[in-house]
Amino acid sequence: MSTPSPEDQNSILLVSNDAHTFILRKSSVLISPAIKSMLDKKSNFEEAQFNRVVFKNMNGVVLEKVCEYFYYREKYADAVGDVPDMEIPPELALELLMVADFLCT
Amino acid sequence: MNRSRGKIRPPRRGLATDHVDFDEYWEVLAQSLREIYAKNASHLSFEELYRNAYKLVLKKHGDRLYGNVKKLVGEHLQVVAIRDVKPLLPSSIVTGDVSFGTATTERRTVGTKFLERLKFVWEDHQLCMGMMKEVLMYMDRVFCADHKIPSIYVACMGLFRDHILRHQEYNIGNALNNVILDQIKMERDGDIINRATIRACVYMLEGLYETEEELESQKVYLTSFEKNFILASENFYQKEGEQLLRDCDAATYIQKVDKRLKEEYSRCHDTLSVLTEPKIMKVVDQKLIEANINDVMDMEGSGLRFMLDNDRYEDLKLVYELISRVDSEKKSLKKKMCARLVAIGKEINRSVSTPQISTAAGADGTGDASKPSSTVVSEEKAANNVTLLAIRWVDEVLALKDKYETLWERSFDKDKGIQAAMTKAFTDFINDFERSPEFISLFIDENLRKGLKGKTESEVDAVLDKALTLFRYVADKDVFERYYKKHLSRRLLMNRSVSHDAEKQMIGKFKMEVGFAFTGKFEGMFKDMNTSEDMTSEYKKLLQESDSDYKKGVELSVQILTSTFWPVGGGGENDHPCIYPPEIGAVRDSFTKYYLDRHSGRRLDWRPDMGTADVRATFKGKRHELNVTTYGMVILMAFSELNPGETLSFEGIRAITSIKEQDLIRNLQALAVAPKTRVLIKKPMSRDVRLTDVFAVNEEFTSKFMRIRVGVVATNRAETEQERKDSDEKTERYRGATIEAAIVRIMKQRKLISHTELVNEVLAQMGQRFSPELSMIKKRIESLMEREYMERAEGERQAYRYIA
Repeated sequence: MSTPSPEDQNSILLVSNDAHTFILRKSSVLISPAIKSMLDKKSNFEEAQFNRVVFKNMNGVVLEKVCEYFYYREKYADAVGDVPDMEIPPELALELLMVADFLCT
Repeated sequence: MNRSRGKIRPPRRGLATDHVDFDEYWEVLAQSLREIYAKNASHLSFEELYRNAYKLVLKKHGDRLYGNVKKLVGEHLQVVAIRDVKPLLPSSIVTGDVSFGTATTERRTVGTKFLERLKFVWEDHQLCMGMMKEVLMYMDRVFCADHKIPSIYVACMGLFRDHILRHQEYNIGNALNNVILDQIKMERDGDIINRATIRACVYMLEGLYETEEELESQKVYLTSFEKNFILASENFYQKEGEQLLRDCDAATYIQKVDKRLKEEYSRCHDTLSVLTEPKIMKVVDQKLIEANINDVMDMEGSGLRFMLDNDRYEDLKLVYELISRVDSEKKSLKKKMCARLVAIGKEINRSVSTPQISTAAGADGTGDASKPSSTVVSEEKAANNVTLLAIRWVDEVLALKDKYETLWERSFDKDKGIQAAMTKAFTDFINDFERSPEFISLFIDENLRKGLKGKTESEVDAVLDKALTLFRYVADKDVFERYYKKHLSRRLLMNRSVSHDAEKQMIGKFKMEVGFAFTGKFEGMFKDMNTSEDMTSEYKKLLQESDSDYKKGVELSVQILTSTFWPVGGGGENDHPCIYPPEIGAVRDSFTKYYLDRHSGRRLDWRPDMGTADVRATFKGKRHELNVTTYGMVILMAFSELNPGETLSFEGIRAITSIKEQDLIRNLQALAVAPKTRVLIKKPMSRDVRLTDVFAVNEEFTSKFMRIRVGVVATNRAETEQERKDSDEKTERYRGATIEAAIVRIMKQRKLISHTELVNEVLAQMGQRFSPELSMIKKRIESLMEREYMERAEGERQAYRYIA
């Protein structure tokens, strides 16, 4: 995973409620309409200004899985043919389901 | 972190355990929404707002949240209406009293300010609602979707409609309509307005709907603004139409209308909505075009007639385009144009039928010495003039055709319907003129005899095509055929044709146009000419072989005409024998014998009235060769028998030659009166030949030419009155026979046929050649029944049976 710097307009810093930080390519997170709205320059909320989103309802483990999904989704978005399954640990499943609902993804 | 693998761990903050206090959460949200209105979003955390709304929805507080947001927005809009919009409401417009003393500029400024404020309020509302919508995305996605209620954005757009445009106290929407209408009126009157602002407000109206289902047909723009606009426009254009009709000439009128159409088009695209375009165009079409275009076309001195007569291509093009908008068939344009066309055509017809013109145009051949004093001469002369008239008529009709063709191409977009109408107009007036077949044939005759000399192939082709164009319009093709046959025969027999190729080309064109049946006889005539040539040379060869003295005799050149092909009629020897001098008579008999030997069963009729002869004569020791008619030759031979100084009376000549009185007068006229060919002298000297005149050889005759052509006063090309009557009768007879033949053909095939069917069949068969009158067909049927070719079918009404 490449690590773009948070100052870069093409990357974004995601923070979990237990202060884990994840730097992602911006293009990948825009899959979620919720995050996309947060980063909308036009409405200019805090998140858009600082390029940083804090998720108060996610811990590091969950957020990591979310990030993993973003990249996974981006990678195989245009793939044809076999796409490998993404591994979801069963104990996280329910929590991830709720987070997915939250992020509208 | 404690994670026991293999078990599904419940979420940290459970659904049931985590109690959510609605008021607490809502207070935070409401505060934030107000901040959004205040443009202070930059210090708000989207995630927090989003999460709050998410929680409320998750905890089944969706409906309260939805309601509260609506209430908050509604309250805000009410404030906006009073605080921001109301102060700028243009009072004069609100009351509807537009004309109330305020100057246009002032009204415009006030109106524009109002529109700009409204535009600002709307855009602000849109912006804020956009942000709120995103914050409340989870509510829209889960609560609204589950309960099938409109998204919060849609609901709040409805709030804008109700709280701003339909404000209970100040009718802002109404004012908006009036301001826009007022501004459009200003623009129509020539002022400049701020189109962009109006466009923005129209956008707003287009973005709002009557109901929250947001049906396309329920746009506030359509329901509240557009119909007012159409109504106002109708009034405006109604008045403008009346005023323009009063003040402008036709060209200005149509140009103004065109300008209005373009204006309305651009207005719909730049200021209002494209949705309105068809509707407003219809208003202009109705009020300015449909209602008035007939009056405009009828305008004295500038209307359609003026445009047509003066080739106003651009104006006509506009007229055409405008009429096309309201009537795809352009009936009124066609009708008026054709009326004018027929009127001009009839004018041309009249101008060549007026008798004084025919005598005034006497600049042809016969020379100024022979003023029309004898009846024969004047009739002949009139015939010559008729040729000139015919050519003028054809030229004028062709010029008219060219003119309208150009109009059609340049102004009428090569419209098929108009072309058909034009064709009909030409057909009408050409067939209205009974001499048109004769004139067209004369035109071709003139060109094939003189006009085409020295012209290139393509030029010849062009002239012939012109003739063909007119030929197409002629309904009575049989009449034309008769004239053409007559003129063609004269060209062939007198060897006057410029080029046989051109002749054949013309016939080829006819054949293409109406088929073989029409040209068969023409072609037969050509064939006769060729066989005649062969026969002459063969006869000559035979004579040379059998008679060593041949050279001394008379040289004979024959043209043998198949009587059915040629329009020769009566007048040959069989009708009226001519007494030939013996040497000529011998040759005649010799050839008759030769011919009848070769073709048994045929009848040979000699036509001294149509032939020519070369006679050698000596005057004052100078030898001349006189080219005269056969009759002329016979007359001169009578004089050659006389001693010098002897005379012959008119009656004397008649007794010797037995030539018909009229032909004799005509030939003597040429020999004794025409100054350049006066080889006989006549007593008394006068310009016309009388039955009492006495003739002698003119010993004093001189001419600087060796060869002299003694033209019998104009071999008449056009018909004289008498001849025309005759040929009309002939036509009638011929048509009668053709119809009878057709009836018999049909009856033979059908055996039993109803009257209407029979008549229709006959009409269909005759259509190519002429259009028979119904009475004529009826007459023929009766005649055929009398002669027992057919009978009325028993028991059936109006049906006939064929009698074999």
